[in-house]
Amino acid sequence: MYEVIVPRLDPAMKTGKIVEWLKKEGDQVRKGEALLVVEGEKTTFEVEAPGEGVLRRILFQSGDDVQVPAIVGFVGHLDEPLPTVPIAEKMPGPLQPIKKVEEAPPRIVERRVEGVRASPLARKLAEEHAIDLATIMGTGPDGRILKEDVLRAVEERRTVAVAVSSVTPTELFKGLRIAKSIPLSGIRRTVAERLSYSFRTTVPVIITMDVDMENLIHLRESMKTAMNTDLSLTAFMVKAVAKALEAHAILNSALEKDEIKVFEEINIAVAINTPEGLVAPVVCDANKKTVQEISSAIRKLTDKAMQKKLGLQDLLGGTFTISNLGPYGVEIFAPVINPPQTAIIGIGATEKRPITINENVAVRHMATLSLVFDHRVVDGVPAAEFLHEVKRLLEAPETLVA
Amino acid sequence: MREITYAEAIREALREEMIKDPNVILMGEDIAAYGGAFKVTDGFLEEFGPERVRDTPISEAAIVGAAIGASLMGLRPVAEIMYMDFLPICLEQICNQAAKMRFMSGGQLKVPIVIRTQYSLGRAHGAQHSQYIPSWLLQVAGVKVALPSTPYDAKGLLKTAMRDGNPVLYIESSLLYRVKGPVPEDEYTVPFGKTDVKKEGSHVTVVAISRMVREAVAAAEILKEQGIDTEVLDPRTIQPLDIETIVNSVKKTGRLAIAEDDSKTGGVGAEIAASIAERAIDYLDAPIVRVAAPDMPIPFSPSLEQEYMPNKEKIVEAVKSLVK
Amino acid sequence: MSGLTEIQSIPAQEYRKLGFEKERLVWMLRKMIEIRLFEEKVEELYLMRGLITGPAHLYFGEEAVAVGVLSALDPNDYIISGHRGHGHALAKEIPAELIMAELFGKSTGTCKGLGGSMHVGICLEKKSLFASAIVGSGIPIASGVGLALKYKKSDRVVAVFFGDGAANTGAFHEGINLAAIWKLPVIFVCENNKYAIGMRVENAVATNSIAVRATAYGIHGISVDGNDPVAVHKATKEAIKIARSGGGPTLMECKTYRQKGHGVYDKALYRPGEEVEEWLKKDPIVNFEKKLTTSRIVSEEEVKILRSEILSEIDEAVKFAQESSVLPFEESEKLVYA
Repeated sequence: MYEVIVPRLDPAMKTGKIVEWLKKEGDQVRKGEALLVVEGEKTTFEVEAPGEGVLRRILFQSGDDVQVPAIVGFVGHLDEPLPTVPIAEKMPGPLQPIKKVEEAPPRIVERRVEGVRASPLARKLAEEHAIDLATIMGTGPDGRILKEDVLRAVEERRTVAVAVSSVTPTELFKGLRIAKSIPLSGIRRTVAERLSYSFRTTVPVIITMDVDMENLIHLRESMKTAMNTDLSLTAFMVKAVAKALEAHAILNSALEKDEIKVFEEINIAVAINTPEGLVAPVVCDANKKTVQEISSAIRKLTDKAMQKKLGLQDLLGGTFTISNLGPYGVEIFAPVINPPQTAIIGIGATEKRPITINENVAVRHMATLSLVFDHRVVDGVPAAEFLHEVKRLLEAPETLVA
Repeated sequence: MREITYAEAIREALREEMIKDPNVILMGEDIAAYGGAFKVTDGFLEEFGPERVRDTPISEAAIVGAAIGASLMGLRPVAEIMYMDFLPICLEQICNQAAKMRFMSGGQLKVPIVIRTQYSLGRAHGAQHSQYIPSWLLQVAGVKVALPSTPYDAKGLLKTAMRDGNPVLYIESSLLYRVKGPVPEDEYTVPFGKTDVKKEGSHVTVVAISRMVREAVAAAEILKEQGIDTEVLDPRTIQPLDIETIVNSVKKTGRLAIAEDDSKTGGVGAEIAASIAERAIDYLDAPIVRVAAPDMPIPFSPSLEQEYMPNKEKIVEAVKSLVK
Repeated sequence: MSGLTEIQSIPAQEYRKLGFEKERLVWMLRKMIEIRLFEEKVEELYLMRGLITGPAHLYFGEEAVAVGVLSALDPNDYIISGHRGHGHALAKEIPAELIMAELFGKSTGTCKGLGGSMHVGICLEKKSLFASAIVGSGIPIASGVGLALKYKKSDRVVAVFFGDGAANTGAFHEGINLAAIWKLPVIFVCENNKYAIGMRVENAVATNSIAVRATAYGIHGISVDGNDPVAVHKATKEAIKIARSGGGPTLMECKTYRQKGHGVYDKALYRPGEEVEEWLKKDPIVNFEKKLTTSRIVSEEEVKILRSEILSEIDEAVKFAQESSVLPFEESEKLVYA
């Protein structure tokens, strides 16, 4: 049995159209005799019989388009069985196109357009040292920032950031008589270094709110009378802040490199003033403790602080800090955020102030809450909402002891 | 150590290899009776005979083609193309045949031929007898390219070329033929694909090739007085090219200049610059500059030719522009 | 030695006198048929089956040249061929399956699939040294092979095949001249099939002979009927004798005809129909077969068996090629440098 094939006459030819069959099924044909006319993309040509025999079968009709090369018929003897295999399988088919590897769509990496001209090396160094190129003066051609410019900026920053101890008093205070020379050591030094760092790296913003302390005062008095427990205002503050942080966890966090780490535990550090200086031991899991437990914890920590017996475990792990300058008559103040925390809250003195309640002037015990938060991590509105929650809890203190 | 000239070093390499291996034969125009257009093969005909030192007609395609055919049969021919300007005449045999025969034959064929040629830039020979076109061969995979800059490198690289087993284009600078330099008496070779530090430095890296290596070293002396410490690197072979050594140097200095007799556009320097930008962009404190010839045919008039040519003064200027 | 001889078709009666035995003659016929059937299969694989792609310059009608020359050469003699090289490759006894696999681009091909149709004939083992796709470029290379043979004082010769088109290249001139002045043992076989793609040889060559150029180079020239394998054999023997005796190269012009197009897709409609018809009548295989059967050197039955044997060998070759795999890309990258 011979296959009648429409050939691929050139490598670019893809299809051919059968114009007409010159013979019909059943016709006797000789080898080389023209069987059909095909129209290719460039020319019209005849397909000849591949051998002698009867045109046994025509697979495609006039007008059909076939993909070349294509078997369009069979020539053979009458007693030969026709191929029963379906045509699609029988035809060897054109060359398989080379498998196109599916490419993932290109990821366009946005390069920050600095608007600042710097050599690639300078850029790399600036990134490594976390210096903003915009703050560097370039000395290269057309003001291009070079490696030496970046290194110079790094050096300048280092000298500026050096601890207070490197400022030489002899130069600044020439001629003055020194009454006392106190070396910057121990707690003083630690405070100096830590708070300098905090001031350098954070973006502190202060918001304040006034709190009506009447209910809290009454509650404290009644608890003192009824249960003989003297719960400090600071203890109530810790509880209120801890509870508020549960719903406003973003303020219970630390910014480390490029990540804001929101903590699960709420450990409130309480600022305590000692003769040696300021310390902030930590009340752990303050949200899970009762006000009584918090109060006793604070008392213990204060005793330890006064006796210089605070251990490392007392000072580590704080996620938020509270400072109470009320007893000293301070109304509003902006405490420095305790690094690496995100915020610190201060409470001022409770005093009688005239306020308005429903169009009428009244005299109430009021205190001002000062919240300083790191604007890199938190914006004003969430901070205000947190502070408002603290205020609300302090004004409804029975919820804190429930 | 004794000092011999660049031409003598090439002679020695040829002669020693011919004594060592009877399969080495030389062919080229005027290499036998005339002793070579630059006298490199002077006396070879007497020593080795006409079977091994063959004068050819002016038939560059046949010179290279015959070298190829002979190498298929186990001979190790060294063909000479008198001027690099004649290379385009036999480029077909080099690029279509020699470079590709091993690959096209599925690894069956080996074509161990060396094609020696020289360029005469600087001798007022005019546009058709002065060209330096190694970058043309850089793009042809299958041919190695060696460009010695000192007598030491000349002898060592030629020996390596003659033993390599692949087609090698060995490019001599005719202005260097009379330059003397230290060359050991004992047997030694210089490997392909190993960039040589001709002078260490810390402020700027200058990559120089062939004739320009001496210019770069001279420029380094001038720059030293101005407080600029220049490192001069000589790749010695551009195929294979040891780019790692150049990368490491740029990591150290942050600044790169490339000095070559090529025309600037599409010269070897363009390839090196692109490679360095690809691999060491974060270490560059300045753009990469090329000290090369302008894109034009070489003028005959000697003073114009001098203006055309890259030189140590132009290298000094380029380096200074990098340092600010 | 330099002169110009002409060798016409040789009648069958002369075969015995010239020392041609049945074995030799049957080998010639078999080879010619093998080449023809192989090329027919290749044509089918391209046009009818679409299984191979790339160029293919088929040897239809020129079989007597390859077979005649290779019949006269010793198996240890060397050849270099060109883009129309399937015939020389088969005549040099390179197995059909390796050639077929190369056409399919498979790693089992002669060149691991890296060369293709124009380089199939590269098989070091069979001393088929090279095939160039650039017209004429093999000629100076063949001179180099001859140089090495002479240098090593070998008895062997090298034959390089090229067409009438190549005879006008610079490489032809440079290569032959070099072989001439150095008296190298090279046989320059010009297959004048009358066409270089569409360029008729009469329009490309001012003389009516290419062999006559031999005189200009001071070498021996032979003009031979390229459709008679025995005549080509005789001519080759003449050239070998000259080469081996230190007489240098010979330029041998084999006059034949390219029965089909330049490449497998070329319908060669630029040729006058009568010319094609006339040359088809001079088909080398038909005529040689007739000579052999008429003088009872072989029977028609034997030839029929021969044909079917060859056909099944070729089918096996196709199967082998199809079942072979392609060389991994990384492997090919390693084959640039030695």
